[in-house]
Amino acid sequence: MYVYLYDNFLRQKKFESIVKALEVRLTDYGIAGKILRLANYTDAKQVIDEELKRGAKTIVIVGNDHTFGHVLSRAATCDCTFGFLPVGPENTIAGVLGIPVGVDACDILSRRLKERLDIGWMNNRYFVSQLHVLPAKVKVIYDERFAVSANDKMEVVVCNLQPFFWKKNQKDREDNVVHPQDGKLEAFLRPLTKKGWWGYKYEEPSIFPFEEMEIVGAEPFTVEADGKVSKELKVKIKLAHGKIDMVIGRNRKF
Amino acid sequence: MIFQKPTAKIALENNEELADNYAPVNDEVETVVGPSVNVEGDFASEGNIIVKGSVAGSVHTSKFLSVEVGAKILANVRAGSAKVAGEVKGNMKIKEVLELDSTARVMGDIEAKTLIIEAGALLFGKVSMPGLEAGEKVTRSRGFGKKTEEVEPSV
Repeated sequence: MYVYLYDNFLRQKKFESIVKALEVRLTDYGIAGKILRLANYTDAKQVIDEELKRGAKTIVIVGNDHTFGHVLSRAATCDCTFGFLPVGPENTIAGVLGIPVGVDACDILSRRLKERLDIGWMNNRYFVSQLHVLPAKVKVIYDERFAVSANDKMEVVVCNLQPFFWKKNQKDREDNVVHPQDGKLEAFLRPLTKKGWWGYKYEEPSIFPFEEMEIVGAEPFTVEADGKVSKELKVKIKLAHGKIDMVIGRNRKF
Repeated sequence: MIFQKPTAKIALENNEELADNYAPVNDEVETVVGPSVNVEGDFASEGNIIVKGSVAGSVHTSKFLSVEVGAKILANVRAGSAKVAGEVKGNMKIKEVLELDSTARVMGDIEAKTLIIEAGALLFGKVSMPGLEAGEKVTRSRGFGKKTEEVEPSV
């Protein structure tokens, strides 16, 4: 049995037609199921656990990167198969998973090509897409073997499924993209150097693939993981192998 | 824009297969130590390493190591193959090819299978290559190849 978790933004009128088209295609394939709408404060894990008790086997997330991160960061430990129907803008994870945005995603879901995905573990919770440490004076220790530091502040981005986009400078029109690979987490470190009297300038990023790392700061620094913001002094990040059973496309990038 | 001429850009956009082939080169992930980043400790990686900042301790990779201009390595280095354009203070043990660019400054012993040194590169240290051992017996021929005699090296 399929259960579909719709993001709240799909209530907007501009998404009405695409949602209708999705539902029609799913009915054609005979995989239509119960629809639940997520609100801002809905605990996805609780909802999914209840549905699993009622006999659900596949949970399908309908929305964008935020929805994907919001649901899976809480429900990663649930024993079920996950699917993803990307709708609307801000869908970068779908590309990595080889799922097209829009109605064609239903074809991928119906084929049920499954793969176990790795996810990130941070202090006491999981993150699926990206972890972002805002510029701060931090030191990064990799696999307890070597430490990386910068002279001034440093921004750290740890990517799991979401690709990392960066620009060399403000004049740089095109984004540089690095696609994460499975089996490792990628950390992108961008030190900031003082530019003139006021501003800061981002340096070229350093890239370190890793399985375990620690970010330590002398002062509390802000960490954002899958949209959840917290202040930390020390963050331990690990890779949890094969946690999520996910329906993916053939054109996946790992 | 119905009557617009098909430019190369539009043609690329329309042809998905072609567009895939023209994907940006920096798509591959490898370990990069950026400028103004300092690494301390046993720095090891399974993939290629590009160093643009400074590294102290030891560096180890089974694949390719590139030390860019302005980079500083104060460590013993072990790599599959390497290209140095920056500064290295420490011994280097390279399995295959070591290439020193004209801007390279190496202070330490080198062991490599193949060594390429560009004019202008600075090197202070001992160079050794597998295949020619220091204590190897030297074969000296006398006459016109009629008789050979093995001689112990004097050094």
